[in-house]
Amino acid sequence: MDTVIIDGLSFALPLFIIAIGGIYSEKSGITNLALEGFQGFGAFIGALSAVLIANVSGTEIQNLFYVALLFSMLGGMVFSIIHAVLSIKFKADQVISGVVINILALALTTFLTAQINAFVFGTASDKFQLGVSDRFTIEGLANIPVIGAVFTNVYPFEVIIIVIAFFAWYLLYKTKFGMRLRASGENPHSVDAAGVNVSKIRFSAVLISGLLAGLGGMCFAYSISANFSSNIYMGYGFLAIAALIFGNWRILPTLAACLLFGFAKSGGAFIAQSMALPSSFTDLFMILPYVLTLLLLIFFSKSNRAPRALGEIYDKGKR
Amino acid sequence: MSKDNRKHNLRKNFIRPISNEKWQPITIPLVSIFISFIAAAIVILIIGKNPFQAFYNLLQGAGIMPKPSYAGYKGMLTDFLSLLNAMTPLVFASLAVAVALKAGLFNIGVSGQMLVSGFLATIIVGYSGLDAIIAKPLVLVIGIAAGGLMGGLVGWLKYKFNINEVVSTIMLNYIAQYVISFFIQMYYIDPISRQSKYIEEAARLTLVNVEIANLKMDIPLGFILAIFTAIFLKFVMDKTVVGFEIKAVGKNRNAAKYAGIHVGRNTVLAMMISGGLAGLAGVTYYLGYFSSIQPKVLSSIGFDSIAVSLLGNSHPIGVIFSSFLVSIIDQGSTYMSSQAGIRQEISSVIIGLILLFSACGEYLKQKVSRLKEKDLDQKKGES
Repeated sequence: MDTVIIDGLSFALPLFIIAIGGIYSEKSGITNLALEGFQGFGAFIGALSAVLIANVSGTEIQNLFYVALLFSMLGGMVFSIIHAVLSIKFKADQVISGVVINILALALTTFLTAQINAFVFGTASDKFQLGVSDRFTIEGLANIPVIGAVFTNVYPFEVIIIVIAFFAWYLLYKTKFGMRLRASGENPHSVDAAGVNVSKIRFSAVLISGLLAGLGGMCFAYSISANFSSNIYMGYGFLAIAALIFGNWRILPTLAACLLFGFAKSGGAFIAQSMALPSSFTDLFMILPYVLTLLLLIFFSKSNRAPRALGEIYDKGKR
Repeated sequence: MSKDNRKHNLRKNFIRPISNEKWQPITIPLVSIFISFIAAAIVILIIGKNPFQAFYNLLQGAGIMPKPSYAGYKGMLTDFLSLLNAMTPLVFASLAVAVALKAGLFNIGVSGQMLVSGFLATIIVGYSGLDAIIAKPLVLVIGIAAGGLMGGLVGWLKYKFNINEVVSTIMLNYIAQYVISFFIQMYYIDPISRQSKYIEEAARLTLVNVEIANLKMDIPLGFILAIFTAIFLKFVMDKTVVGFEIKAVGKNRNAAKYAGIHVGRNTVLAMMISGGLAGLAGVTYYLGYFSSIQPKVLSSIGFDSIAVSLLGNSHPIGVIFSSFLVSIIDQGSTYMSSQAGIRQEISSVIIGLILLFSACGEYLKQKVSRLKEKDLDQKKGES
């Protein structure tokens, strides 16, 4: 039973931070289908820097976890500039830009991973080996029944994500910047009339989404897959989009959606395992989170409302 | 001549090829393709290889240009036909995306719809032992029906429950992927290939190893259908009430509603057509290009097709050309990598670059019209 909570959380939280990135961008009025590409590219930069530093300095790669996290955020942010420039400055269709970025991220990182492995390390490999990050258990709290599992075998990144998520929540709902950001997605003209540069707000929102998505991607690379390869593009970015739409573009309900995904996923795996069914039955239980989402959406979607100016190109002259 | 003037002239010459508004839908993609090939050439130069040779190898591998030597029973025509074979599902899938886009819907679920229709056609017809004359049309019908129903479901969920189609298609993609993987692994697995058992030749939409004029070729029957479907779709979209209503809903839902168009019905209808086309992509992929299904894998065609359809301006005929281009790069890459020693993955980088630059098309268009206005103002000022 404990494993359901432990695995569920370690899947839900990276998903959550990617989804928060999506909320920032979409709340400011920029449709963001590029999350998948951002998280992949962020993880690529993080993994690359970890592998390079480990190679040069000779440190164990597991110890470079925090360095990798930092670089993954940078990488995600730098890559998100493409989306920002394309959809804000070049006024391209935001859906198109997002899809293109996903395709480009997959192509570029696969190509570069193989190329760098061959040129720098002289190996014919299409992945960067990272290993799984160390976990810790809070003694005392871990002994509480049921809830104790939350404090058992915790990845350090889970704590980091919770701290950043809290900060992101504060920034979005309690500060002037957050208010302007949300207003840019509802009524950009009024923001403009108040003397605030809409394009600048949106630009920074997209950069924040790249930063957070990069972090989330790196966390997946250091836990589930234990390496960086093209397998990072498992569709988690899209799942995060589903979670944020399910959460009605608000941070707390989105957390609930992500937890639902996480626990349904680990719960399904747990049921399949405890019933000692053949491995192919696991597949049948894997659909649990997705079926559950669809069913819940049928009941909750009526009140779902996207930011009003979402996906619209901001045109100063238009009224 | 002043410096400013010279700069202006340079700019004018640069934009001349794309300044004619009537031809912009064609010239702007061409310019973006040109720019992206220059970018790709720079990448290839950095690796230290010859870009012209690489591009020529791409064409050779795709059967557009002759290779210096061929293995037995192989020729340029063989390569070209396998290009068409690979291109067929891409055309259908891109048409599927294009139709949904016309209705203002975003069908991310093409790969899921492909998988479901491919799987159903495989288990119903693929192992049935029916004659080719019945089996092949039946495969097509099942493909259209299965895909259409699945697409229709997405449209219905949107219309009835306000479920965003992006979310529902993503969920259905995962569900289809896992459920079908389960059934394949339980009942239809081939223990050696770890895929579903190969289907019978009679049900396959590509005629394999046909010997004509001492060449062994794969003839994709679906390709002819794909071309006709594209032309038919253009007709439906431009000349019929159905097409007009779908486009009206896509342009402005509220305006369409005020005009008395049934928005819900058209949403469902557009998704059904889109799903049906995705179904055709599925059967030409799993029962044409391949003849078995790999469990737990969604084909990447579903996502590529979004980009291909955008590159083709979501226009049925444009889609044929854009999928032709993307398929050439894709198919030729194996030969290029063996001849020029460049990694095969560069092909997807080139495709990505093409799409990236074509996404900037709108910006180019604006820039051009603004420059033209400036030009006019200047002329007025002089006279």
